[in-house]
Amino acid sequence: MPETAAETPTPTTAEAVLTISNLCSGYGSVQVLHDLSFEVRNEIFTILGANGAGKTTLLRTLAHLLPVTSGSIGFRGTDVTHAAAHETARLGVGYVPQEAAVFPDLTILENLQVGAMIGDRAFDECLEEVFQTFPDLRSKTHLRAGNLSGGESRMVACGRALMQDPKVLLLDEPTAGLSPLYVEQFFETIESIHRTRNVAVLLTEQNATKALGIADRVMVLSLGEGSTPVDAAEMTKERLKEAYKL
Amino acid sequence: MLDWLDAFLISGLFGVVQIIGLGLLVHLQMGLTRVANFGVAGFWGLGLYVFGILYGKVDWPFGDPWQFLVCAIAATAASALAGLFVAWLISDLDVDGALVGTLGFATVIFLLATAWSDLTGGAAGLGGLGFPYDAGPAKTNEFIWFVLTTAIVAGILAYVLWVHRSPYGRLLIAVGTNEPLARSLGKSSTRAKLTLFTITSGMMGLLGVMQAVMFRFIIPANVTINITLAALAGLILGGITRAWGAVVGVLFTVALFDIVIQFYVPLPQEWYTQAIPVAREAIFGLALVLVLLFRPKGMLGEMKRPQLMRRIHDFK
Repeated sequence: MPETAAETPTPTTAEAVLTISNLCSGYGSVQVLHDLSFEVRNEIFTILGANGAGKTTLLRTLAHLLPVTSGSIGFRGTDVTHAAAHETARLGVGYVPQEAAVFPDLTILENLQVGAMIGDRAFDECLEEVFQTFPDLRSKTHLRAGNLSGGESRMVACGRALMQDPKVLLLDEPTAGLSPLYVEQFFETIESIHRTRNVAVLLTEQNATKALGIADRVMVLSLGEGSTPVDAAEMTKERLKEAYKL
Repeated sequence: MLDWLDAFLISGLFGVVQIIGLGLLVHLQMGLTRVANFGVAGFWGLGLYVFGILYGKVDWPFGDPWQFLVCAIAATAASALAGLFVAWLISDLDVDGALVGTLGFATVIFLLATAWSDLTGGAAGLGGLGFPYDAGPAKTNEFIWFVLTTAIVAGILAYVLWVHRSPYGRLLIAVGTNEPLARSLGKSSTRAKLTLFTITSGMMGLLGVMQAVMFRFIIPANVTINITLAALAGLILGGITRAWGAVVGVLFTVALFDIVIQFYVPLPQEWYTQAIPVAREAIFGLALVLVLLFRPKGMLGEMKRPQLMRRIHDFK
């Protein structure tokens, strides 16, 4: 078993946190991802793509909730292709799914406590950091997560992943279905998490304009195939259309 | 001293306490972790029979209370190991698969109890059991045993309440609500489920041991699905996700029929052997249908986590 996140140093920007090589994955006999290769450094790496492109499948595979058909996944130089989901989390991979992202029967505080089951840092210290990132949660900790709005649920899910003290955060369309106000706020928060906490972010999005605004690099996923990652500043409308195969 | 207490009433109260204990354990399995268990009679019955066989058929070099303790520990361990094995078998199955798997296990125990007559006594039953103490008349011994069993069930209730407040309980709820998400949080959901099933199955076996001693005689009819249905009916009526659900539900079902109606409602004598047992099962079934239709979370309603968290953390 590879060493835990708490024992490993923080990577510099150029070092790969995640290395994906010739990755194929899917559901049973249905292959969704075809031969994907890219790496995520200490950056905000955004994957754009339409519905059905394979974004959720990719993140579920990286969180080891779906099996790898072929290819490999590396985490900070260690091959974790066949690690279990809980082992991946212990290494420092935080996953925030798009749907069913909170435990509805638990309160907000309990959701955050569940996130803090691993890691060596003091719970109160992690909790305070989450409250600084999501101040709205501070006064609502005793509320059932099942009664929260979409935006509040995303905050709780994201906060729970941060309680794990991750080295890379996998965010699956975190702004899908949110009001424009929340969308703006959430993108700012994602950027802040990366800059202040030194956490690499792998973000999937459909909202290309907003996502490109905070991304360092970007890749377009179309029908399970990925374009060559480029700097976000270089992703022009034409290149985007080409990558989307429009 | 116990003149006011009827021996049948002790037996009825003992049955109620047993079903409450089983209901509490099923609450941990199905109410928190959402691991379906239709084989309660199997785990309980395994403890009952392993104890009966070890106590009644093995020639121990020492007497009670050591004989009882050794046999009780072995029977509890046998049920726990069976729980671990069954949980491993069903760990990746959906609710339907788990229901069939656990029911299958209980059926195997029933068939072994019936067919392996050299060991179990078959339909004729297995005797030679007794209390590990002698405090005087049978009624006094039975009353002491009832108190001991009540203490064990109180311990189970305390354990359930502790689980509700503990990080382990939150993990179980997380696993039950959304297992893939729970797995992505750094804890093995499979290990959490296997641990819970092993502990709770062992406790079911211990309750089986208490039953064996109380009645001093074991027959296959003890380990039929009726005990599973009684525990489930009580739990679902009371509230499957609530710690107190099994207690309240069993009081309104088993206690109502087996104590209140049996002892305090003046009915024609022949009803007790014919009409009441049939009416009991029919009314349990009807009550289940009505509760599931109109109050699907049971009489106590849904899990009250916010209240619990307020009490623990004293939120303003």
